[in-house]
Amino acid sequence: MTWSEIQPLLTQGFWDTLYMVGWSALVALLGGLPLGVLLVLTDKGGMLHNAPVNKVVGAVVNVGRSLPFIILLIALIPFTRLVVGQSVGSTAAIVPLAIGAIPFFARLVETAVREVDRGLVEAVQAMGGGTPTVVFKALLPQALPSLVAGLTTTVIVLIGYSAMAGTVGGGGLGSVAVQYGYQRFETSVMVATVVALIVIVTAVQLIGDAVVRLLTAGRGGEGAAGRWPARLGRGRTVGVAAAVVVPLALIGYGVGQGGEDKQTLTIAASPTPHAEILEYVEKNLAEKEGLKLDIRKFNDYVVPNTATESGEVDANFFQHKPYLDDFNKKQHTHIEPVVNVELEPLGLYSKKEKSLKGIGSGDTVAVPNDSTNEGRSLHLLDEHGLIELKPGAGQEATLGDIADTKGLKFKELEAAAVPRALDDVDAAVVNGNYAVDAGLNPAKDALVAEEAKGNPYANFLAVKDGNQDDPRIKKLAKLLNSEQVKEFIQDKYQGAIEPVFGPVGS
Amino acid sequence: MITTKDLTKVYRTRDREVTALDGVDLHVHEGEVFGVVGQSGAGKSSLIRCVNLLERPTSGTVTVDGQELTALAGNGKRAGKELRAARGRIGMVFQHFNLLSSRSVLGNVELPLEILGHSGQERTRKAHELLDLVGLADKAKAYPAQLSGGQKQRVGIARALAGDPKVLLSDEATSALDPETTRSVLQLLRDLKEQLGLTVLLITHEMDVVKAVCDSAALMKNGRITESGTVPELLATPGSELARELFPVGGVPSAPGRTVVDVTFHGETTTEPVISKLSRTYNVDISILGAAMDTVAGKQVGRMRIELPGSFEDNVVPIGFLREQGLTVDVAAVARDDAPDTGKTDAADSAAGLVKEGAK
Repeated sequence: MTWSEIQPLLTQGFWDTLYMVGWSALVALLGGLPLGVLLVLTDKGGMLHNAPVNKVVGAVVNVGRSLPFIILLIALIPFTRLVVGQSVGSTAAIVPLAIGAIPFFARLVETAVREVDRGLVEAVQAMGGGTPTVVFKALLPQALPSLVAGLTTTVIVLIGYSAMAGTVGGGGLGSVAVQYGYQRFETSVMVATVVALIVIVTAVQLIGDAVVRLLTAGRGGEGAAGRWPARLGRGRTVGVAAAVVVPLALIGYGVGQGGEDKQTLTIAASPTPHAEILEYVEKNLAEKEGLKLDIRKFNDYVVPNTATESGEVDANFFQHKPYLDDFNKKQHTHIEPVVNVELEPLGLYSKKEKSLKGIGSGDTVAVPNDSTNEGRSLHLLDEHGLIELKPGAGQEATLGDIADTKGLKFKELEAAAVPRALDDVDAAVVNGNYAVDAGLNPAKDALVAEEAKGNPYANFLAVKDGNQDDPRIKKLAKLLNSEQVKEFIQDKYQGAIEPVFGPVGS
Repeated sequence: MITTKDLTKVYRTRDREVTALDGVDLHVHEGEVFGVVGQSGAGKSSLIRCVNLLERPTSGTVTVDGQELTALAGNGKRAGKELRAARGRIGMVFQHFNLLSSRSVLGNVELPLEILGHSGQERTRKAHELLDLVGLADKAKAYPAQLSGGQKQRVGIARALAGDPKVLLSDEATSALDPETTRSVLQLLRDLKEQLGLTVLLITHEMDVVKAVCDSAALMKNGRITESGTVPELLATPGSELARELFPVGGVPSAPGRTVVDVTFHGETTTEPVISKLSRTYNVDISILGAAMDTVAGKQVGRMRIELPGSFEDNVVPIGFLREQGLTVDVAAVARDDAPDTGKTDAADSAAGLVKEGAK
């Protein structure tokens, strides 16, 4: 990709990151500060000594800190929807980010406040000050430099967490790096994104350190006594200005993002190839039909469906029939396919062997580990005689359904990671989109590949039941099955992805 | 002004109990500087914290300026409104100053005024006034980190005076300071006491502090007050440990079989030539082994260790003469290390007997 292509990705990613991190840091500050102070006050020897409260708050904080962020992200979806009214997008990512950061910051606050000399607490109490006075006049002002340092650390951790926000369509720089760098092997984008992240993290750290230095210098901790008033004045002004302007800018950005056109059709899609096909439609075909598209990219396969069910997005384009049927059944959703668009044929690839005959007893084969792709892979291997499945093995067949492995060994990996394992295994079953991203050409490089005709794994546009007749959906369906899209798919993907149009069979 | 009755404080840890205060009765009169001395661990710190209820006593009562603080609401670490108001009228000065490094000197002095609810202008005016009082008017805008130890304690004192207290508690206020700074801070306390009519209760492990500022003193040991009184009273009490500590006099007998006597001069007797009178009247040779003269609570006080020839029995009459002159006389239980066993035992026995007699 060229710089002119990368630059808008970076700009958008930068603002998304800033928006998500800014808001979640603000919430973490407001939530973590009281929690941290409460932990100190209710501890043994504290002013509000209360063992049960201390233990409960401590336990909650510990649980919050031990949950892997990605799990928090998914587990909090219902809560997120309750709080911000949606479960996808940058705004929705703020909720899990903030919830994840609150306990982290709370522990840092606890440490900072605990460091304040107990003698000061005693002095304020001796003056007749109550607990609020002690907290607001002594503990917090005294701990301020440590609190600022803690907040800096929290913001940097949040920048790291925000890379996972792509799971719920939050965007951001980290998500750009994962989508383009990891999944599509666009090294230039990854490098640019990582550099941008390094710059941001360094800037945050420098600003945090500078504020801490100004605060301590103002207290006469260092520097010549004669110079301090001027320095203090400037330091305070800069600090206050930064503290006011940055959040305001972020809030302004958020408000600016809020206003959305009711005529716009919002579609959740996987980045490749679904979002790319949609982007082609958006740029070349939609305008003529008076259609506006808002394309949201997801790396995850659950949120696009739940968001469609809840009405946060109007449609999605990422899945095939077996997956949707299973999803509807298990999640009690009512998503219906509208029209087929494309198929990403699974193929068997190898870097060691040139033909199917070379794969046999003793070889290791990597397969995707998710239920549909694994079943699909095993059926492909079965069809070509590499293994033998038990009679009646369904579409979600697993390794346990193999009747005869014919000496093959298997490695189960996340679908996106399979192409990366090609160097370490003898062969691998790779999804068409990931194969293309990894620089493989399904038409030429695959030892064997799925047939397009009659394949139940064609990907389609889907909506919540009842919206099939929305005129905007009908327009989009028509455009997706147009001659131009067919040509686009064939030109761009060179057989890795095949256009499969028409109604979805049952 | 400050009265404690049968004050006890017991700290309970998981497996044992530590009695810090064991029935302390203390009476501090209005307008006096009262010093509580004792070694660390004697319970001084617990005592002063129980006076403004920073620590709640296990039993007993504390009354300050006619108000029984122990009766006010609030338990443990949480103080009720009335107790907090009462604390506002008791100033407290700390060993490690306990100034907020995040506030300027002025800000530190304003803090108690904020708690008392004074308006902004009023606070600033009053804080400047207080800083003027402690001689730090020019340091208002400095930060504690820029001050010397003595200056910090002056800020601490100004802060303690913000609520116009009648009572000032001083917790080892000079223990972290060098001797010269200690003197100037103590002088300030003494001046402020006179100027503002304060009653001061201070705890210290330094006898010099008591000597320099205290009108009265008490000795604390193992959570109990073992001696207490005005400084002249203590000096006039034969066998007083405090008096001995205040004026340590050294010296050992020059030969076995001699009598060593500690003599304390106070009041009028300091100006009387008693030693030469004794020498002339009874025609005895007197050796001075050690002596100390000082001003305590504005009065000349002296102690002297003298040696009389012969055993105690030989010197009953001269010692009686010294007593008649209004001096406090203790026969010191000291002997030369190389003295024969018999002589040493005699002297020690008789001395011990006399101390007991004197203590009656």
